[in-house]
Amino acid sequence: MIIGFLLIPFVFTLIFAAVFGGAGEDETLPRISVITVDKDRSLLSRFFLSSLSQGELKKLLSLKEAEEPEGRKLLDRGKASALLIIPENFGDRLWQGQEVEILLLKNPAEQFLPQIVQEICDTASLVFSSLLSVFSEELDIIKGFVDHDQFSDENVSMISIKIKSKIEGISKYVFPPVISITERTKADEEKEEASTLNVSSYILPAIAVMFLLFICNVVFEDILREKESGPLLRMTVSPLKLSEFIWSKILTSAAIGVICTLALIVLGRLIFSIRWGNPPLVFAVILCLNIMMAGFIAFLYSFVRTERQAGAVLSTVILVMALLGGSMIPVDNFPSHIQNFSKLTLNYWGIQAFHKTMLQDPIGEIIPILLGMIFVGLLLSGLGSHFLNKSLRKGLLK
Amino acid sequence: MLKISHLSKTFDSLKAVDDISFEVKEGEIFGFLGPNGAGKTTTISMISGLLKPDSGQIMIDNQDLETHLRKIKKIMGVVPQDMAFYEELSAKENLLFWGKLQGVSRKTLAERIQYYLDETGLLGRENDPLKKYSGGMKRRINLILGLIHQPSLLLLDEPTLGIDVQTKLNIYEVIREAASRGTTILYTTHNLQEAEELCHRIAIMDQGKILAVGTLSELIQIVGEKDIVLITGKFDVDQGQKIIARFKEAAVISLREEKLVISLEASKTMTGLLEEFFKEGISIDEVSIKHPNLESVFLKLTGKELRE
Repeated sequence: MIIGFLLIPFVFTLIFAAVFGGAGEDETLPRISVITVDKDRSLLSRFFLSSLSQGELKKLLSLKEAEEPEGRKLLDRGKASALLIIPENFGDRLWQGQEVEILLLKNPAEQFLPQIVQEICDTASLVFSSLLSVFSEELDIIKGFVDHDQFSDENVSMISIKIKSKIEGISKYVFPPVISITERTKADEEKEEASTLNVSSYILPAIAVMFLLFICNVVFEDILREKESGPLLRMTVSPLKLSEFIWSKILTSAAIGVICTLALIVLGRLIFSIRWGNPPLVFAVILCLNIMMAGFIAFLYSFVRTERQAGAVLSTVILVMALLGGSMIPVDNFPSHIQNFSKLTLNYWGIQAFHKTMLQDPIGEIIPILLGMIFVGLLLSGLGSHFLNKSLRKGLLK
Repeated sequence: MLKISHLSKTFDSLKAVDDISFEVKEGEIFGFLGPNGAGKTTTISMISGLLKPDSGQIMIDNQDLETHLRKIKKIMGVVPQDMAFYEELSAKENLLFWGKLQGVSRKTLAERIQYYLDETGLLGRENDPLKKYSGGMKRRINLILGLIHQPSLLLLDEPTLGIDVQTKLNIYEVIREAASRGTTILYTTHNLQEAEELCHRIAIMDQGKILAVGTLSELIQIVGEKDIVLITGKFDVDQGQKIIARFKEAAVISLREEKLVISLEASKTMTGLLEEFFKEGISIDEVSIKHPNLESVFLKLTGKELRE
């Protein structure tokens, strides 16, 4: 059962990482399939479409040319994310400085990819329009050459010089570019990983803290089982004191919790590449956390009499604490008044301790949390032992 | 070995044990006989240290239980009424675990496990988990667990409850053998035959009080040569009193509506007594005559049969 509880945080983290984060090695996006229909087949329509398959866009978009009916059929079948239709007279209208509309049909079954195509087309249209405005004079001349078939060496040289001088004229505004894009590799990101938390780094400790409570619960459930099935009675009449027996359970629970947490830490490092922080400090967090958890569960068990009661009460308390304390939803997402309640849960402090260690926060911020956890753990263990002793003794008498 | 002085225990308003005193000698099998609710288990619970008495003193091996609890627990064995072991573990694993908890060395433990399993006929089944054992086999293991550290004082709380005759006899044998080795045994039961067969001395307990203590013959002397007669029928207390007053040799033990317990020499007086009832037009439902034995002693002391 304990192994089951140990595996659950991993399964949860895997699911969360798969949905929200990049847990895999290959993080490249798949190419977005776009069908193009060029009804104009003019110089400018080809120029526009070819602009979508240049440079980085070539890696992102997979363009396939088709006739309109076939294109619509493919889109209906979900074979593409979008269908881009260049209307007839696209080139002529542009030469004449008139507005033109490009039709973009998006695949309704997809949410994000058609949106990306739309953004790209919007940007391409804007750039294309700007270029047409800047080079309108030169384009008119070129159109005259095309219309009258006057592509002589002299005319080509003349238009080339004109374009070159215009590019030189605008180059002081364009180069160097005001906005630049820096490409970063995963290795670069890892260097800065210590200062931020990725999805796995958040999820695994958060869920692990919750499941540690369940693990402690399993150990304490045995007490009730031992009470109901007899061994506890024999234990009580043996030279062992009942209080010693209860403390042994608290220590066993904390020890099993420490072992399970260590296993989670190692597996988290191996599987999710989580950087837990300074090892001695991480161990201190694990130790204090498990003392606190064991004490808390011992305290709760002093109020329950049967396994069934324990099942109902403990599960409810653990789940409510998990919800409030950030094991299910990051506490930062809560309204501030709920966040105040979060601070009353063990989960909150456990998660805080782990995250602060991961983020390599100053030790002065971590030590008070650890001391608080030990204090709460010992206090609850003491109270739990006292009350549990009384309730168990009472339960043994028939 | 065991000396109880003025022991009392009250739960809320119920006086479960009411100022009882008795002594048990070394190697003696001392029976604690009484119906359910008589206070036997409460007494055992106090002697085993599970329950604190309200007043009184428990001395075991000349040591006060209150101040030497841990030391005394080492020389005391307890066989509770209910099974008290780990059912998932085998007999051997249970015996090893509990034996070690009592401080028995591994080597001695191995020898004793072998010995007791053999004595109780469980050898060969020692590696089976106890959950696969029958009720009788579990009872035997429950007994061995109380004996594994060879205690000076063994407390047995109805150890033969709900088992077959064969297992019962085996358990008696093991208990006698332990007593012969010097173990003092306090044995609670509500089975008269069991108390008669097994115990050297018997204390009769009812409603928290010890009514009589002695050997079987000492107890039988309480009723003397007379029989104990129980009559049930359609009569009230006045009618009962009126009829009994006609028989000077009859002593009333208990009289309530529709039930009369008297002691008399049944062979001489019984016919005349019944005739008097019939003359009064009283119909009799049941007549039971107990010749002098533990049952009649119990009936005389408590005014009721043990099964009631």
